[in-house]
Amino acid sequence: MSVVVIAVATESGVPIFSRKRGNNESIQFSTIASLHGINMFSKCHNLSMLNTQVDNGTILWKEYCKSVTLIGIATGGLECDLELLLSCVHDAMVFCIGKKELETLKNIDQIKRDLRQCYPILDYLLESLDPNALSSPLPTLVLDLIQSILCPQAQQLQQALDNYAESVTGRWACLIIHGHLVATSSDFYELDPREARLMLLLASAQDGAPLRDTPVYLPQMSPNVAFRAVTCKLLADVYILVVCGATPALSQIDEIVLQCWEGYASIIKEAKLVHPRNFPMSLTFEPCVLGLLIININKRRCVFSRHLHLSSQKGRGMSGAHRMDILRTFYVTSARDLAPELKLKDGNHKEVNDEIGNMCETYWCSEYHKCHAQRSGNILCCALYASTVQLHTIRLITSQILQDLSTNKDVYW
Amino acid sequence: MNNYKSKVSYDSPCDSDNDWTNSSDDSKYSDSESSVPEWDSDVGEDGELVYIKIKNDNETTDYTKTPLLENCETFKLRNNFKRSSTRRSTKGRIFKVLKSHKSKTTESSTRKGDDGASNVNRNMLPDEKLIIVQVSKSMIFSSEKNCQIEKLFGLSLETHADGKTLTVAEFLTEARAIYTPKVQKGYYLQKINGIEVNSYNINNILQRVVEDHNSPRLTFQVPTESHKVDLERLLKSKTAPENSLTHLLKESLCSVLYICCNDIEYNSNDDKGVLYCYPRPFNQNFLYNTRGAYVTLNHLAPKSLGTSEPTTSTVLHNNTLINVTYTSHYNDLLLIAFPNKEVDMFAAKKAIADVVRLLEFLYGSIKSSFTKPNNVDKLDSLFARVFVTLVINSRGNKEDGGRSVELYFEDMLAAHSVTLPLEVKVQVDDAITELEAADYREWTDDIENFQRLYTVIGSCLYYSGHLLSSHLQDEDLKEINAYLRLNGILKLSTEKELEKLVVWREVFINEHRKQNKNEGNEFRISDGRWFLLTVGKGHFVLSTLMEAGGCTEDAVGVTPPSPFYVEECESCLELLYDVGLNKYLVSWFNSNSQPQVETSPEYLTKYGRKIRDINSLKPDSTLKTSTLKISKQTDKRRHNSTEQINVGSSTSDMNSMNSLTNYGSHHSLYAQTYSTAPKYRHSSLDVSYSEDSNSLKSNSEVSEERIQGRRADREQRNRRDSSGSDSDWDRLDRSRASGSLDMSDIRKSLLNEINHVTAKRITAGEENVLFHFVHLESERGVLIAPVKNIEVLANNVLYSYIVKTFRSACKQIHELLQHSIRFKKNHAPSNPLNKILVAVKEHGMLFQAPVDILSQCGVSKKNCEPYLFWVVGRVFSEPEPRELYLCYHESVPQDLTEVAYLLSYLE
Repeated sequence: MSVVVIAVATESGVPIFSRKRGNNESIQFSTIASLHGINMFSKCHNLSMLNTQVDNGTILWKEYCKSVTLIGIATGGLECDLELLLSCVHDAMVFCIGKKELETLKNIDQIKRDLRQCYPILDYLLESLDPNALSSPLPTLVLDLIQSILCPQAQQLQQALDNYAESVTGRWACLIIHGHLVATSSDFYELDPREARLMLLLASAQDGAPLRDTPVYLPQMSPNVAFRAVTCKLLADVYILVVCGATPALSQIDEIVLQCWEGYASIIKEAKLVHPRNFPMSLTFEPCVLGLLIININKRRCVFSRHLHLSSQKGRGMSGAHRMDILRTFYVTSARDLAPELKLKDGNHKEVNDEIGNMCETYWCSEYHKCHAQRSGNILCCALYASTVQLHTIRLITSQILQDLSTNKDVYW
Repeated sequence: MNNYKSKVSYDSPCDSDNDWTNSSDDSKYSDSESSVPEWDSDVGEDGELVYIKIKNDNETTDYTKTPLLENCETFKLRNNFKRSSTRRSTKGRIFKVLKSHKSKTTESSTRKGDDGASNVNRNMLPDEKLIIVQVSKSMIFSSEKNCQIEKLFGLSLETHADGKTLTVAEFLTEARAIYTPKVQKGYYLQKINGIEVNSYNINNILQRVVEDHNSPRLTFQVPTESHKVDLERLLKSKTAPENSLTHLLKESLCSVLYICCNDIEYNSNDDKGVLYCYPRPFNQNFLYNTRGAYVTLNHLAPKSLGTSEPTTSTVLHNNTLINVTYTSHYNDLLLIAFPNKEVDMFAAKKAIADVVRLLEFLYGSIKSSFTKPNNVDKLDSLFARVFVTLVINSRGNKEDGGRSVELYFEDMLAAHSVTLPLEVKVQVDDAITELEAADYREWTDDIENFQRLYTVIGSCLYYSGHLLSSHLQDEDLKEINAYLRLNGILKLSTEKELEKLVVWREVFINEHRKQNKNEGNEFRISDGRWFLLTVGKGHFVLSTLMEAGGCTEDAVGVTPPSPFYVEECESCLELLYDVGLNKYLVSWFNSNSQPQVETSPEYLTKYGRKIRDINSLKPDSTLKTSTLKISKQTDKRRHNSTEQINVGSSTSDMNSMNSLTNYGSHHSLYAQTYSTAPKYRHSSLDVSYSEDSNSLKSNSEVSEERIQGRRADREQRNRRDSSGSDSDWDRLDRSRASGSLDMSDIRKSLLNEINHVTAKRITAGEENVLFHFVHLESERGVLIAPVKNIEVLANNVLYSYIVKTFRSACKQIHELLQHSIRFKKNHAPSNPLNKILVAVKEHGMLFQAPVDILSQCGVSKKNCEPYLFWVVGRVFSEPEPRELYLCYHESVPQDLTEVAYLLSYLE
């Protein structure tokens, strides 16, 4: 598999950056120029190339802000929504340098330099497509969802976050463990889910710095005025992130953090234990469930888990990472259709071809496993089962899981 | 013409240089002269032929409604006469040559008479909806534009896209009351005072109206198929398609472009390597204007990006989404564009594969189709037909919300075939085999000395667009299916009843094309020429692939169709008519029986069950159940080996099974007429025998008409035997004794027996939960599914919704399952495949029917449990990939392996 994202200044044709993941060679300048040329030429003839399919892959052009053209190339049986990837890449660019800069592209060399700081985020985005990256310590699995941990401590932590946000005169705060969202301040959901997702990636990209502030532009909410995102490392793999104004200074924040979070160390440690199962212990699952992906559609949050059973019997033949990849692929290719609201909306010119309405369940049977997805209200459950389980049993178990999720008191999104 | 006639002379299977032809030269020539086939004048300079004659619509009264009276003995006897007359024209001719009978002037004259009659019929308007409005002369409407039409009639007209027809554009306010609601905007103004009007003569006619004192009478025509293009005319036309059609295609953004990308040809060509472009002019063709983008991408992708060559591009032009497909042929590039609204990405991919298949089949290779000299007109009309079939004629009517209606999932994938009862299958295969065998021993004993003109390689038979039988190689079938479908022949045979269709052209068979590529094959097929002869009658289309060369006569130069083989094929179809297959298939297609699908899905709800119970209590249903029970028994007897097949319960009556009731009534009718049949037979024989008391040679035309083939021999023998006897009765008895053993009689009786349609089920559970299914054998190019008009038969909103959902879901499932199929096909693929997707062998989706559709079907909202149904697809990879798609109600879980197993029993 391989995926390449190239950014070119639309008018001048100057290449801005090119990021790739996978085993392909990097794209040469002349190729970039030709690719851009194709797009420009067809535009002159009042024709826009939206999407080109090659055997086992896709080539996509997308113009943003009338100034930047993103070109995405995915090959090698990669199952992904390239259009979504490009719009996420664009979001990340805005996140780093602001929309105005991107629109005017006044000093291209400066912008190229500025955009370097978003490379880690871009690489995380690309990584989330790569099945081989699953074994990395902080895997990102899906492009458009916020990976989370469901823990019983979330409610308590929310109070602490609210308190913390207030003390730094900030608005939105969240607690991140192992790159997963654990708890949020109560108004965190004012942020667009994709902005929240970028925040998380930002925290992941901090490389263990104990305290750091970064100017960020929120692509939806405030694309032209920068906010200040302060990330602070509490414990190993535990970060708190808050979006606030210019004051207080970083040194003051350091003190506030100590004040606010001193008493919560034990709770955070408890919450940390939930990883990698990612579900509260009070939720139990049938042994035939090999992996689980739960999605809260409104909040765009998802919980992956492959360690559902405490006594993890090894030697089932399928590695944990592979299970995650199956679930992810299942979600991207089929189960996402259960939640049409998750689809990218800006395709206004798209005549909807395969509008299959009212799907409520879907499944795959392969030689080695079965996948089943069911939606109940706001929650979408994708589950991976052993291949021996019968479909009617599977349906029963999945709906049981959905019911448990809605009734369990420890589940707090 | 001269050269053609000489061809005819050796068209008979017997070569011309043998003794009997020489001896009877005169008769032979007079014979060929007199029996010039009616399609003769339509043969093109290159020997190709498209001859279509459509039956008048009025005659096509639907057999569905009337009881199958035709199945009774008397009718079959009539059929017999008909059959003899057509068969005789071929075999009779040889007979005559052999035995120097008198020429057939009478026959040909009667035939001409027939022709005339049907010509008149053809000119008569088929029953179109006409509306006549009389506008009072005293009324004068105020026209702002001071337009004569508006003043006189109070309406304004515009010219239709065809440039000739006048359509109603607007009514003046004062006049609206006169016209509405009968006449609406968009209707055609056909006649004024009985005189046909068009844009050319409208002014003259208006002048006459002004002078006339009577109130003008306007005849409007309801535009039933306004957006449809007449396929028949398009098929027949030898010239390039009309400007109006080209314009229409241009508007629809359909386009073809063939670019030659190697340097030599690129530079030598005036149009920078563009060898073909349609619709023209070049500079108005968007594909031509933007070709640089596609060519660059086609070069760039494999060389610099490391991907494969592009397959499709979706582009946006003039706010229309268009799918552009790429086909590389060495250095050349074929681009075809379809508007996304009618041909989506899925369909475009399948369509381009078919178009490429078609081009290779017709011209040997893609390149040669575009480099063949003087071929532009042919290609123009070919692509016009392709686009008309795929795009224009598949446009939905406005009532359907403009959605495409025809490009079904089933049609895109393979030849749509239906399961037939074994007995019928045998009949059909038998008829085709007889054609293929080309066994002419019955006409001449001396058969070994003659060389034949063609070897029949194989043939396939369609009925109403459904493949009934194929004796072709898989690849040949795929190509012929593409040929028939994209040219609209299948569509034509579905929509219209053909009186006669003859299409002849040279083709390049797959086997031979492949062979050219890898030379040095030990088992080479001979270098010959191949021809495809397509003959149609009624809703039947029979395509026969024939080889010239090898063991048969080499075809040299221009090769027009041979009347002999055309007649052979026609008589093959005639044979099917004799057996009553045409009638049988109508009822079979309406019977929804093998396997039965539930066309009233609402019966599967709690509420629906109640309705059904009430309905089944009605008195008229008793007959239905009783007849069904009988059929059940008979069928069980026959199929006791395959008892796994669920026999439909008698209570599962459905709206569409009118035909079943017909069987009930027919049953008794049959019994009655059967007893009278011998009498009829007696009388008919009586007449003829009284005439031929002398010798065989002076046989009258009437009697000879019934004699041909093996049967003829037998009957003649009978006559000779009985010539000494005076008693008609005696003779009759004997003829019955031997004659009833005739194959065709056995055939008929078999068909009669299986007229009792038994519903079979392939799903588990007490009730039938199956709504739709598709069983695809992509390697063979064949799929089995319920008949195409099942939705019409069902006439049910919920059912249509379910089927629509099924089709779009199937596309997705099909795409997913292709990973597995591709993986299994080549174990070391050049492009790495997604290792998760290749393992998926079954994919299912559960859907819920929306409440408003349920309530339209009478399921009230109160007691509404959610109505759920599955669409499931599964691939079976051994021995060759087969895919099964199923749509069933959620209440009974199904195992697709089991369903596939049961389905295989029906085949």
